[in-house]
Amino acid sequence: MLAQRSLTAQQVVDPIRKNAGVPWQPLSLDTFKAGDPATPVTGIATTGMATMDVLTRASKDKTNLVVTLEPTFFGRLDAQPDPVAGAGRGVGRGQASVSADDPVYAAKREFIRRNELVVWRFTDHWRGRKPDPFATGLAGVLGWTKYQVGDDVFRYDVPAVTLTTLADELAKRLKARAGIRVIGDPQTRVRRIALLPGVSTLAAAMKSLPECDVLLAGETREWESVEYAQDTVASGQKKGMIMLGRVVSEEPGMNVCTGWLKALVPEVPVRWMAAGDPYWGPA
Amino acid sequence: MTATDVVERIKKNLGIPWNEQTTRDTFKAGSPDTEVKGIATTFMATLDMIQRAHAAGLNMVITHEPTFWNDQDKVQDLAADPIYKFKVEFCTKNNMVVWRFHDNIHARRPDLIWVGLVRALGWTDRAAGPNQRSFTLPPTTLGALAADVTKQLGSRALRVVGNPDARVSTVALAMGYGMPRVSPDIDVVMGGENPETGGPFDDSEYVLDAAALGKNKGQIILGHAISEEPGMEDCANWLRTFITETPIQFVRAGEPFWSPKAGSR
Repeated sequence: MLAQRSLTAQQVVDPIRKNAGVPWQPLSLDTFKAGDPATPVTGIATTGMATMDVLTRASKDKTNLVVTLEPTFFGRLDAQPDPVAGAGRGVGRGQASVSADDPVYAAKREFIRRNELVVWRFTDHWRGRKPDPFATGLAGVLGWTKYQVGDDVFRYDVPAVTLTTLADELAKRLKARAGIRVIGDPQTRVRRIALLPGVSTLAAAMKSLPECDVLLAGETREWESVEYAQDTVASGQKKGMIMLGRVVSEEPGMNVCTGWLKALVPEVPVRWMAAGDPYWGPA
Repeated sequence: MTATDVVERIKKNLGIPWNEQTTRDTFKAGSPDTEVKGIATTFMATLDMIQRAHAAGLNMVITHEPTFWNDQDKVQDLAADPIYKFKVEFCTKNNMVVWRFHDNIHARRPDLIWVGLVRALGWTDRAAGPNQRSFTLPPTTLGALAADVTKQLGSRALRVVGNPDARVSTVALAMGYGMPRVSPDIDVVMGGENPETGGPFDDSEYVLDAAALGKNKGQIILGHAISEEPGMEDCANWLRTFITETPIQFVRAGEPFWSPKAGSR
């Protein structure tokens, strides 16, 4: 049997760029964050966040290319220059990213170097895909695909369930811990669910909540969608909102990415490696 | 006295010149000319809180955070929303007035919102120095610290990052929409509300990785309400020192969230 010449990390990224389904933007955050792009790839792990824990598991699993949705080095820019010079996105403009001599930053870089890992970020373009992979991914992990309402990947009509049972079920299926927080009467029965994975706006909550019973959101602001959901409940409506956290809500979207990559680079093993809920609650 | 009279009295007693530039500290609902039967201070004028203030016979709400779900309390796009109509009609029908007290209460010295948080934590004597936002506590574990903070602040949905067994002593504290940045001399960063990731510097991922590398670091996310509500009790106490004509009560908006039991700790 002929030994198959393995692809380099760059040779994995090239077809991703060509097939992303949206035109590749030259100045995006979707770049190599650590490691040598010429490294032969033994396996690919997709994840919501390339934490030390994920990198350690990937390394043990002989999986040396990590494709991450969120940053590796503790900030939007991953300690790299802003791809769009002088065009900070408003959030925290002017605030410094992690410094190069930070001990945690240095140790993480060293771990990646020593284990010959490569980290590549896939956020700006993966977010542009249709249908929305975060919605289909979340529904898939929850077993709700069959409950989708028409062609709207953000809407699901599930068998009626109390808010408390639903929250428990979500915690179990998503392996979430204290990251799950709920607004509404635990005994309220809900059926019509809208997904708002990731960060969502007041406008999104105001559009979705009147049309359904419960919003399943990632991250929203306490003085915006949270207060709107509280007021909806206080006005007498039998509704609620469940916040899952940013990473927990979006990570299933990287499971969708795993499926997509398997078809795109069939010569390389690809697996989903969830970073998990970063939060625990005190006893 | 009218709601305007109350606000004028507050301006006079603030201790610093009133910031006239603020678009936050203004009337949000009801008429400023309304005769005040009683004042309710709170973290956020949620519909539920306004209903309870009304039931207690208090018709002027002094709220720290917005009433209509956005920082500027802009309502142009809300007119058709049924919940907006419900909230406005409740206020109108019951002669309720809502006024926001945010920028100026933070600007005065001491900042009453800060004083309230530190008081509620029981850390008033533990500040590292005057005007310091860091605290040195008797050495404990992150788990024990988080449990103590939960008890002190009465939280049901506090979130923690880091190893529960990590030995910790120094804490940097922030309130509201704020989280201190991790630094070498600080074991635990604690704040109200913050983006989980994608900011200039992400504490959660940093602490997660620091813990994985065996470092004694922790992050405690209190929630916006939990971190700023105590200060509105201090606000009520302060108002009583110069407003004696009308009853003044602290009426909690309360923590908006609960956590499911199945969320493993």
